[in-house]
Amino acid sequence: MANGGVIAPVGMNLVALAAQKHAVPFLAVGNIVRRVLHIIREEDLSLTTAAIGGLNLSAVSDDENDDDRDGDSTLSAAAVAAAARSTLRPPSLQTLLEDTPVSAAVPQTSSSGGDSEGKSKSADKSSRSRKLKHDVIEAVNELIQDIVTCHEQIAEQAVEHIHQNEVILTLGSSRTVLEFLFAAKEKKRSFRVFVAEGAPRYQGHLLAKELVARGLQTTLITDSAVFAMISRVNMVIVGAHAVMANGGVIAPVGMNLVALAAQKHAVPFVVLAGSHKLCPLYPHNPEVLLNELRSPSELLDFGEFSDCMDFGSGSGSPLLHVVNPAFDYVPPKLVSLFITDTGGHNPSYMYRLIADYYSADDLVVQRRATAGN
Amino acid sequence: MQFDDQGRVNKSKKRAVFNQPEAKNRVELFRHLPQYEHGSQLTDLESKFLELDSMHPAVYKVGVQYLAGDVTGGNARCIAMLRAFQEVINDYSTPPGKTLVRDLTAKISSYVSFLIECRPLSMSMGNAIRFQKSRIAKLPLTLSETEAKAALCNDIDRFINEKIILADKVIVRHAATKVRDGDVLLTYGSSCVVEMILLYAHELGKQFRVVVVDSRPKHEGQALLRRLLAKGLSCTYTHINAVSYIMHEVTRVFLGASSVLSNGTTYSRVGTACVAMVAHAFRVPVLICCEAYKFHERVQLDSICSNELGDSNDIARVPGRPDVNSMDNRTNEKNLQFLNLMYDATPSEYVSMIITDYGMIPPTSVPVIVREYRREYLLI
Repeated sequence: MANGGVIAPVGMNLVALAAQKHAVPFLAVGNIVRRVLHIIREEDLSLTTAAIGGLNLSAVSDDENDDDRDGDSTLSAAAVAAAARSTLRPPSLQTLLEDTPVSAAVPQTSSSGGDSEGKSKSADKSSRSRKLKHDVIEAVNELIQDIVTCHEQIAEQAVEHIHQNEVILTLGSSRTVLEFLFAAKEKKRSFRVFVAEGAPRYQGHLLAKELVARGLQTTLITDSAVFAMISRVNMVIVGAHAVMANGGVIAPVGMNLVALAAQKHAVPFVVLAGSHKLCPLYPHNPEVLLNELRSPSELLDFGEFSDCMDFGSGSGSPLLHVVNPAFDYVPPKLVSLFITDTGGHNPSYMYRLIADYYSADDLVVQRRATAGN
Repeated sequence: MQFDDQGRVNKSKKRAVFNQPEAKNRVELFRHLPQYEHGSQLTDLESKFLELDSMHPAVYKVGVQYLAGDVTGGNARCIAMLRAFQEVINDYSTPPGKTLVRDLTAKISSYVSFLIECRPLSMSMGNAIRFQKSRIAKLPLTLSETEAKAALCNDIDRFINEKIILADKVIVRHAATKVRDGDVLLTYGSSCVVEMILLYAHELGKQFRVVVVDSRPKHEGQALLRRLLAKGLSCTYTHINAVSYIMHEVTRVFLGASSVLSNGTTYSRVGTACVAMVAHAFRVPVLICCEAYKFHERVQLDSICSNELGDSNDIARVPGRPDVNSMDNRTNEKNLQFLNLMYDATPSEYVSMIITDYGMIPPTSVPVIVREYRREYLLI
């Protein structure tokens, strides 16, 4: 049964593959991998504590000491207490670094059940591993449900933030924002929306179409007009691609522009994000490292400028570079509020939520290619 | 003119030379500005070509050029208009029983209202017209008609030469001192003065890179990009949304202006304010390059009280994106409006320096120039 053992390598491969191919969104892939790992650890933990509570202890070492298992049913109370203490304590650095269990008799926190290498398991162990598997699968299903329904939970909070005759600005298109605004409309709030088109993907057009279909008064503007219009806007509501641990936001390109303009005019900048978008990483140089450059053909047609470029000149390097980044980083000081499915939060609070969803060991998803797994 | 005042709108419609249907879906905030359906204007005006006896063909030609968008940019529009007025003055003959001063002024006013119908005046044009009218009013009464006409044409030539062409040369000389080797210069849209600066600095042999930032719907930066590449400058092209991404590398920002107002606000192409704001956030100096004749004593705090609205179809339609363009037939939907602003107002705190033909001044010195040097107009 997997601890980090099976999931981590698979997960790491996924993340590496996603990052390599610049699949959007590679951050979310990493998040989900870490969530699943955390679920496994938690389930294991709760099973272990339940097992201790019922004195139904079986040695859950993941190494080759099968011999010791026969004597395990007769563990003394002292050993049980010691086991409980070590289970509930976070693993010591020594354990982590050496990557071996401290002793065969003590249940490991970071491992569960038997191994998958075909060694014989005792009946207790296999039933426990089956129960663990079952619990983990249930929890993962819950996670899937959470992700699918996060829009509704965020949209429920819409009436708390939108009042009558409000003017809202948004950029590009986000399903969360759409549901949010619909929910406010359902509750009979009347408001107007300015949608910035979000070039070069022009998702804003699609969002405007949806809003108009539901009867909302919408005005479509170009991204260059954001500064001109923001003085007449009450609130900016946008979606995010990922939320970093420091409260910064990775969002579609152009968002930093809107955030700066909103700060200048003291307009609240509200970011809607499901909790699965919270990433436990702190961003370093995010404009470059957490960004993706798309094809220049979205800005200029292929061959359009080939007639005025002299390839025979000097160094041979092309005179014309076309830059088309896909994402923007918005620093936490520009964000007024995060609205997630767990409620509204300050950007400075987001790092606390990490402890709820992620384990400290998984922050760097490593391949642990040791025999112990 | 206030377009939310129905009485005045009706009066101006009666005087109008050609028919302009008002846009059906008008943005409420901009009700005080004219919004027209752009589809049929040009064909309507062209069909009236032979009917307009009161219109001088040169002025008509300039009007059509404005309407079609062939002549854009403050300097180009101003020069085109003044040259048309020169032809008007040359062909002018005083009708019997009228004085030259009054009649010519009335004629010029009617031509100006025609040009306003084609496209609202830019501030540079407004200043040039005021100059023109003041010169006509100051004509000594002893002059004969031919002498008066020659004097007026001369004045126009001097205005164009001193205030625009020579001023540009002075600005270029000043600004080139601000370009150092290894610089990365950013510019937005297409300004003729900034283009001259970049080409001149390149000729001087300075090593620098240019970043051209562009935006919808006009993509004016592409024309500038073409001309820079042809001269061998190394350029980066990007969209205004990516300004935050590219601003890390930039050392200076050069922007053009349609006008600079007396509270230091720069009135220029929409998007300039965004670029200046991001540059300010990254502590990159912003230099506005603007001739002094474009300064105006008006003040403005935001981009809404006074602006120009373009064709809303330009926003609705995205060339080359059929998936997005399925929205196009929705321009008549009641709830959906498209807003195509042409100008915006950049606050003075984002501007480090304004380079004019009077030298390099901070934005706070603009009212000083407006007050002290306006007298110069009269002494020309």
